[in-house]
Amino acid sequence: MSDLDRQIEQLKRCEPLKESEVKALCFKAMEILVEESNVQRVDAPVTICGDIHGQFYDMKELFRVGGDCPKTNYLFLGDFVDRGFYSVETFLLLLALKVYGFYDECLRKYGSVNVWRYCTDIFDYLRNVLTSSLYDPHCQTEQSVYCNPDRKLLSDSLSALIENKIFGVHGGLSPAITSLDQVSSIYLLDFYIPWFISPDPAKAGPTLGGVVVVVVVVFLGSHAEYWVAILPFCQIRTIDRKQEVPHDGAMCDLLWSDPEDAVDGWGLSPRGAGFLFGGSVVTSFNHTNNLDYICRAHQLVMEGFKWMFDDQIVTVWSAPNYCYRCGNVAAILELDENLNKEFRVFHAAPQVNEPSSFSLSLFAAKVYDI
Amino acid sequence: MKTVISWAYGLGHGGPCLSFPIASITIILQAPNPMEDKPLVVLVNQHPAGGEIPATMAVQVDEKELKAAGVEVLSDGRRGLRVRGWEIESSNRSILNSRELQLWEEKLQTSHLPEMIFGNSSLTLKHVATGVKIHFNAFDALTGWKREALPPVEVPAAAKWKFRSKPFQEVILDYDYTFTTPYCGSEMVETNNEQVAVDYIDGLRWEDCEEKIDVVALASKEPILFYDEVVLYEDELADNGVSLLTVKVRVMPSGWFLLLRFWLRVDGVLMRLRDTRMHCIFSEHAFPVILRESCWRECTFNALAAVNLSPPCSPQLPHPQQKKKNKQEKRVAYKGYQVDAAAYNDPSALSQRLPIIMHKTQKLKLNGSE
Repeated sequence: MSDLDRQIEQLKRCEPLKESEVKALCFKAMEILVEESNVQRVDAPVTICGDIHGQFYDMKELFRVGGDCPKTNYLFLGDFVDRGFYSVETFLLLLALKVYGFYDECLRKYGSVNVWRYCTDIFDYLRNVLTSSLYDPHCQTEQSVYCNPDRKLLSDSLSALIENKIFGVHGGLSPAITSLDQVSSIYLLDFYIPWFISPDPAKAGPTLGGVVVVVVVVFLGSHAEYWVAILPFCQIRTIDRKQEVPHDGAMCDLLWSDPEDAVDGWGLSPRGAGFLFGGSVVTSFNHTNNLDYICRAHQLVMEGFKWMFDDQIVTVWSAPNYCYRCGNVAAILELDENLNKEFRVFHAAPQVNEPSSFSLSLFAAKVYDI
Repeated sequence: MKTVISWAYGLGHGGPCLSFPIASITIILQAPNPMEDKPLVVLVNQHPAGGEIPATMAVQVDEKELKAAGVEVLSDGRRGLRVRGWEIESSNRSILNSRELQLWEEKLQTSHLPEMIFGNSSLTLKHVATGVKIHFNAFDALTGWKREALPPVEVPAAAKWKFRSKPFQEVILDYDYTFTTPYCGSEMVETNNEQVAVDYIDGLRWEDCEEKIDVVALASKEPILFYDEVVLYEDELADNGVSLLTVKVRVMPSGWFLLLRFWLRVDGVLMRLRDTRMHCIFSEHAFPVILRESCWRECTFNALAAVNLSPPCSPQLPHPQQKKKNKQEKRVAYKGYQVDAAAYNDPSALSQRLPIIMHKTQKLKLNGSE
């Protein structure tokens, strides 16, 4: 445990961990996630956060505004990585905090951190996938985890249900899902089977890196329930970034669909893939499931949050000055034990510190290309 | 943080000292021989941690150089300069807020606009004596997008989606989500200046011409008095690629040169590059001589894979990790097209491989003149 404390402190300073530590942390997180269910019930008070996109120092700003992690419960709606310069650090810190929450719970409930620790066949399989994907076998140096600027990570949470009243999801709704009960069963089919059992790592090759490990999206503070999340953790480059995610099906909808003013029912994106949903869809979903509203992320909002369809759905965005040039503010949604809500808006962190070595990037220009 | 880059054309040639306001950057420029089309390699040593990033590389040039060229730097926080009868100004602002966005949607009669519109950013080049003004802004570019109204391009996932069960009352949206625009800049004669001769208010036109932009002149060893890049709009196509419109400008003692570039990559489907270059050689003519070259390139991934025997060359970095990476780089066949993913990120490295579908050079003329 003291190791974990030290690692968290180290990660909070945006200092990279050793490869062996990263590995150990991922294994611990996997043990936790194998045990978790798909739709997580979350107790208030809780603070809901939207996209982070590897903007580590802005995430620290988020914790400064929202309260330190062990003292405050957080629900992250996904997209921790990509675009910003600190995807690895951002992800690892969240991972470490999640593991911290798990250990804390095991200790509290069972008096031992080893209670849920066991290995199954599926776990061994996951371990293999992790080993082949996270670490390129051709690049076994300790630096390898951090030094590859092309490395892109992909992450997204699935969903959470807060006090049975607020549905938290990364993207939005799916025409295949009208009630929350369906979410659990569909996830089992869509997610666990194709992702953990059937993918063929050999097909993807060492650089594309198998498929996935499951890890955390949501982490917990010092007490009780922690939320589920499942995170495809892939070593893939920009162009292939989405290839590892199922392109259709309910899970895909929950991750990527968007609310849209211009349609009332369902709309199909001009890309030929991807749903848009209008006000009446949200009304009926909330009514069926007896929800107050839906809280989602996924879309950039200049003001940090945005209500739509008569306050039936809210978008929360937590990456201020997105891509370090959009100039937007960010927000988190704080819910107290009675589900009273307060949005906290915050700005990008001031510049700090030395960047870590992996953020090295390069670009080229030509005379004629200026 | 203020940093200095050295800008040297080839070994041993000293150049002006450029100061990047934010990141610490070392530029290593190889001899810019346009015939060989060698890349100028720019190595970014250090990223700022959080906070602002140079979306643009604002360059502050050695004061002596500026003085020698008779440059008057714009004051009051404006970015730009006056030189040889031209006033050149760039501004990089935040993305549109929700209120502005709504206004634009009304004006452009659409409910779909790019995720990031830098609607208040612009580049303006004004010839003071004649009032001739060349400028670049997102609104005019999106007006062009709306007018061209290309049919949507389906992403690879669309094939699978066709077999999905359709939700009740599905609307299929068919706007051009790639935001492809024929925009090649805006021009006008600004008449509010009393000094402007009445002859010029008739309007401007671009006329096809035989002359070509003088690439050799552009490669000559000249100090760069001003450089900036302005992003006009950007969209990540819901993680299906990128659509980006930017304009870059550089000003030398002999003239100015700019590149407006629309870059589109729909992953697995299509790449489209629409470049507009303008070159003005400072002269004593009453009416400025401005050449405009438009070059449109386009290629599907399939077509590129068919002829693609070696991956496009990415800039070689004199960096051990980079060398190692290159050695390991493998090309992967993915779903029928060849992918060397990193190579598809940089339009400059790719442009030569994309076939030209339209090319013309034009000269700015005054209506009614020869």
